[in-house]
Amino acid sequence: MGESITFWVLAVVSVIAALGLVFSRRAVYSALMLGVVMFSLAVLYAVQDAPFLAAVQIIVYTGAVMMLFLFVLMLVGVDSSDSLVETIRGQRFWAVLAGLAFAALLGLGIGNAVLSPPKGLAAANRAGNVPSLAELIFTRHVFAFEVTSALLITAALGAMVLAHRERAEPKQTQKDLSRARFVRFGQLGRNPGPLPGPGTYARHNAIDMPALLPDGSVSPLSVNRVVARYEAAEGTLPPEVERILQEEALSERANGHVARPLGEEDGK
Amino acid sequence: MNGTIQAPTLEYAQLAPMLVVFGAAIVGVLVEAFAPRYLRSAIHVPITLLSLAGAFALTIWQVVKGVPTKPAAMGAVAVDGPSLFIWGTILVLAFVSVLLINDEDHFVAAAAAVPGSAEEEQALHEGAGHTEVYPLALFAVGGMLLFPASNDLLVMFVALEVMSLPLYLLCGLARRRRLLSQEAAVKYFLLGAFSSAFFLYGTALLYGYAGSIDLAKISAALGVVGGQETLLYIGVAMLGVGLLFKIGAAPFQAWKPDVYQGAPTPITALMASGTLVAAFGALLRVFWVALGGLDWNWSPVLWAVAILTMVVGAILAITQTDIKRMLAYSSIAHGGFLLVGVVATGAAAGQNSKALSAILFYLVAYGFTTVGAFAVVTMVRDAGGEAWHLSRWAGLGKRSPLLAGIFAFFLLAFAGIPLTSGFFGKYAVFQAAVAGGATPLVIVGVVASAVAAFFYVRVIVLMFFSDPAADGPSVVLPSRGTAAVVGVAVLATVFLGVFPQPVLHLAQNAAQSLFIR
Amino acid sequence: MEPAEIIQHSGGVIGASWLMIALPLLGAAVLLLGGRKTDKFGHLLGVAMAVASFVVAALAFIQLLGFAPGERRRGVELYDLIPGIAKVGLLVDPLSISFCLLITFVGSLIHIYSIGYMAHDPARRRFFAYLNLFVAAMLVLVLADNYLGLYVGWEGVGLASYLLIGFWQHKPTAATAAKKAFIVNRVGDFGLSIGIFTIFATFHSLSYQGVAEGMAKGGSIPATAIGLLLLLGACGKSAQLPLQSWLLDAMEGPTPVSALIHAATMVTAGVYLVVRSGPIFQATDTAQLVVTIVGVATLLAGAIIGTAKDDIKKALAGSTMSQIGYMMLAAGIGPAGYAFAIAHLITHGFFKADMFLGAGSVMHGMNDEVNMRKYGGLRKVMPITFVTFFIGYLAIIGFPLLSGYFTKDGIIETAMEHNAILGWLAVLGAGITGFYMSRLVFMTFFGKKRWEADAHPHESPAVMTWPLIILSIGAIVLGAFLILGNRFMLFLSPAVGRPEELPSFHPFSTTGLATLALVAVGVVFAWYRYGSAEVPGVAPRGSFLTAFARRDLYGDALNEALLMRPGQWLTRLAVYFDNRGVDGLVNSLAALIGGSSGRLRRIQTGYVRSYALSIFVGAAVLVGAWFVVGNL
Repeated sequence: MGESITFWVLAVVSVIAALGLVFSRRAVYSALMLGVVMFSLAVLYAVQDAPFLAAVQIIVYTGAVMMLFLFVLMLVGVDSSDSLVETIRGQRFWAVLAGLAFAALLGLGIGNAVLSPPKGLAAANRAGNVPSLAELIFTRHVFAFEVTSALLITAALGAMVLAHRERAEPKQTQKDLSRARFVRFGQLGRNPGPLPGPGTYARHNAIDMPALLPDGSVSPLSVNRVVARYEAAEGTLPPEVERILQEEALSERANGHVARPLGEEDGK
Repeated sequence: MNGTIQAPTLEYAQLAPMLVVFGAAIVGVLVEAFAPRYLRSAIHVPITLLSLAGAFALTIWQVVKGVPTKPAAMGAVAVDGPSLFIWGTILVLAFVSVLLINDEDHFVAAAAAVPGSAEEEQALHEGAGHTEVYPLALFAVGGMLLFPASNDLLVMFVALEVMSLPLYLLCGLARRRRLLSQEAAVKYFLLGAFSSAFFLYGTALLYGYAGSIDLAKISAALGVVGGQETLLYIGVAMLGVGLLFKIGAAPFQAWKPDVYQGAPTPITALMASGTLVAAFGALLRVFWVALGGLDWNWSPVLWAVAILTMVVGAILAITQTDIKRMLAYSSIAHGGFLLVGVVATGAAAGQNSKALSAILFYLVAYGFTTVGAFAVVTMVRDAGGEAWHLSRWAGLGKRSPLLAGIFAFFLLAFAGIPLTSGFFGKYAVFQAAVAGGATPLVIVGVVASAVAAFFYVRVIVLMFFSDPAADGPSVVLPSRGTAAVVGVAVLATVFLGVFPQPVLHLAQNAAQSLFIR
Repeated sequence: MEPAEIIQHSGGVIGASWLMIALPLLGAAVLLLGGRKTDKFGHLLGVAMAVASFVVAALAFIQLLGFAPGERRRGVELYDLIPGIAKVGLLVDPLSISFCLLITFVGSLIHIYSIGYMAHDPARRRFFAYLNLFVAAMLVLVLADNYLGLYVGWEGVGLASYLLIGFWQHKPTAATAAKKAFIVNRVGDFGLSIGIFTIFATFHSLSYQGVAEGMAKGGSIPATAIGLLLLLGACGKSAQLPLQSWLLDAMEGPTPVSALIHAATMVTAGVYLVVRSGPIFQATDTAQLVVTIVGVATLLAGAIIGTAKDDIKKALAGSTMSQIGYMMLAAGIGPAGYAFAIAHLITHGFFKADMFLGAGSVMHGMNDEVNMRKYGGLRKVMPITFVTFFIGYLAIIGFPLLSGYFTKDGIIETAMEHNAILGWLAVLGAGITGFYMSRLVFMTFFGKKRWEADAHPHESPAVMTWPLIILSIGAIVLGAFLILGNRFMLFLSPAVGRPEELPSFHPFSTTGLATLALVAVGVVFAWYRYGSAEVPGVAPRGSFLTAFARRDLYGDALNEALLMRPGQWLTRLAVYFDNRGVDGLVNSLAALIGGSSGRLRRIQTGYVRSYALSIFVGAAVLVGAWFVVGNL
């Protein structure tokens, strides 16, 4: 009875979460929804006499895999949402149609099957859940188990091939960098110190507010150009910053320079 | 239970070919880790070639010693006549493909560098390269060996992944036209994962039906378990999707042209020969060992798939303007012809072994010809690398008649002209199909062959009867490896065309025992 | 008596008899692929290969003689080409080995002769390559143990013949003649291929053995149809009526080619086919009757053509037609005639090759002049050529004790016994032969010199005269050797069967005496017209009959009226319908395929999501289909 209630509750939760995973516009939401699905599955495993599987599900999937997803999202950027405009004619229509047809077929087929009453795991778990699993893995399925290692090695090797780049020249140390900064100061007169932080004398300390100089004017050095560009697109750029950027752009065009975020180092 | 586990018995002798290949792959990874860069290639090549040759020798040794009659490795792997034949075929084709891979300049210098970036320039300048391709290729070959020999669906799934994953990677490592190559790799990966999901879902449903993933036990459950046929049907269909995807049968063929085009040509050769052989082996095993008792049920569906595959492959190939895409569509069409052989099975063991031997022969014949054709493609180059566009091939026959003649010969073999291996392949398969009562299918097959012959001949006409372009591609002097590959392919195509008897005989012997259950 | 069983054989020279074919084939391959590099030694290699092939044939012959007569049919299985349908195998039996010896021996001599004859031709290497190719193909034709192999050889010799007739393709007449030979042979080959299809449909086997067994088993067998179709093939290759017209034009080729291909060997392939298909022909009186009628008609037609030609090679070609007509006649009679047909074929191979080469020698000395009206009195300047040619001449007219006397007389006697009308017509043919051959000899070697001003006839070099001498020796002795004591008939009988009662040779039978008398009349008449009298330098207008003969009995006109004109009309009609109907159909089919290809191609968008969708839709359809089929 308890199993049935758990199942029906978790079934609803996990299906809704799965739909959310697919339809959510923000990647983080999708990742969290995935976490919910995995967790529900773990609970279902636990209820169905498979404690080992439940533990593995939580540790490996909810614990490790989910965290990896989130890390990746952090690195890629939370807001990098893709365009959702469909350019292929008929794609959505046929996808929906095929999906519905497929679901109908599955529902019809599996719903029509006369399933024998469940046997339960009592017999299989007689020697204990973990030892029984171990026996299967190390006897009947030992070859599959061993061959899986080939898969893992391939995956590791593949990650190395695709992502690892051998350093062609020695890595620059702190000392090298600092020396380069002062050389630049000597040659170009560029300030070797850090740039002023944003929002120093302002009502806000958000990163999108420029710092004010003692005379109350805006310090162009403190404007983060990436943020400014984003805000200009959103239309939330403070007017004084906008003015500065325009002046700067004008003068740079006059000098033949290309607009460049201030924070960026030059001269490499 | 006292908590002790009986140690499993593993028939090492029977598994030896696979173990050698996998072992060599792992040694290759260690070489990557420990050997200095300048030595790696020199170490990899002998290891790879020797392991493939050794595995082939072990396969032969097993044939000589007597074909095993019981599944090995606790019932996970079935080493039987067809398996051994397929292993031999795959190993020889892989050996030949590795010779092609060995030509240095097919693979990217630094995969992690953004295409067209300064880093890439630098890597090219330094002459860097990815020697990882050798162990990756070996892993793929190991998967190809296991795939047709697996005796339960779980092992088959693992083998499918072991075979595919390295190929996904290798597809993205082309040296030139890197964006195309990376696109191909991503497409192959996504669609492969998609089809694997179908395979796995099918496995689950079949388990739900039969209570086992053993092919033999599924076969035993047919007709015994009542009331759950729908599970069986849906499961078989989904399993079929996974397998048909790998052989590129319509409507699951969409990946093939893109991937064959984008992948480095030696890898395309490996995929077009080895993967196709392995996938057909697995398809045959599933449909005969597990579902043999259900053939009245699956053969109409496979009829439709075979017809669709032949028609789509032949018709779409006509309008291709890229030589690699054309060969990809030709591979799809050939997959359709082979499916005709799969359909040609019947209730009688004699008919089964006839169809099986026909398919085995076809696979050998097609495998060699296709490796040879892609090897020729690697040799026709212009400033941007291989010249793929068909217009660039115009007048090749006047510029380098020998190469164009060889390529024309391969194309004629694809078309199935008598005195080439392709003729006997098609003949054997179609004959088996007629004997199996699939005459309408054979008629479609012959019509599709005729349509296919059109575009093969069109290329020949283009090569020999048009004027060469002023800035046409030059034919590079082949390295010793490439020359050997082309030579072996020509010899095999000629030999199988005028003297098919020994290989037919071998295939018949292999098919005699059928798949063990 | 039925032919003996075929015994499978391996090992020994017979087991290696494929070498006979492989050696000249190798020679041709080396010479054709080797290009100019082989120019220097090309002719020697060609000769060496032909001679080596003859050595193999001779050794195989000796080994074959070692077996008891009933065990002299040895099959050499090489391999299965199409399991259950076609094996590649050779059959070494008395019939095929006789051909092999003839082909390789005469072939070798002609190869040697060609060294001298083609000495100044820049493309000599290519010539030897083609000759080697011809020898290989001809050996395939006679050695194959099945109709498929025979067909391969048949087409191979056709190709070689085409290449060699048109060897001097810079001459428009040669190029046209090559094409004509090829096209006329198409008609025959069409019949042959339909015949072979019918054989396979009837017997489910293509091997001679299978056909013989099938015939023995009986049942409803369309033997007449098969026989007539095979005969059509034979008529094409052997220049029998109504497909004779190409042979006269084929004389445009170099003379050694005319000697080897268009006299001694290839043109006799039709006789071989009829004899080899004995089990089929013997079951059908109709087809046999047609064969004999074709034979007699051709032997008369060829002889009549021979009487009117001024071109020495064309006159000889007419004679070839006529002599093959004799062979055909004998082959149509059945086992009683087979031995005589083949024996005449062999002796004819010798004396006709001898005469063709002699004619070549004459032309060689006379600046390639072929018009006999420009010859005359050559016996003094070319003594060896004259003597050897004269021996060949005596042999062909059936001068007592020379080879033609025995073999042709055998045919006439057998035909007489078979059917008196055919027999008397054959006797008449022999008389005309006496006339036209004498005419040829008298015009060429006797009488007054009628040479062109710039002609300086001389005897040919030794490399050309020795083959003539050897061939003329064959022309003297072979007939007696083969026929006396029925030696050849007994030798051949395991392969082709033999009549219940062996014929005996009567030197003074009525028929024999009548033949001799008629021949003598012909010779005397020729002497009266061409030997003792002045031969005009330009052909006189002559009677209606002469004109008839000069125009090849209006063979070309007949072809033109009966075949070409209606053919052209038919073609025009077909083209009209083709353009309107078939082309429309084909074009619209092509357009349909191309169009659907273009349309289907659009599905291949390059977007992975649309590929995934296609997989998904496919999966849904597959599941649905399974569902439906499973629940049916």
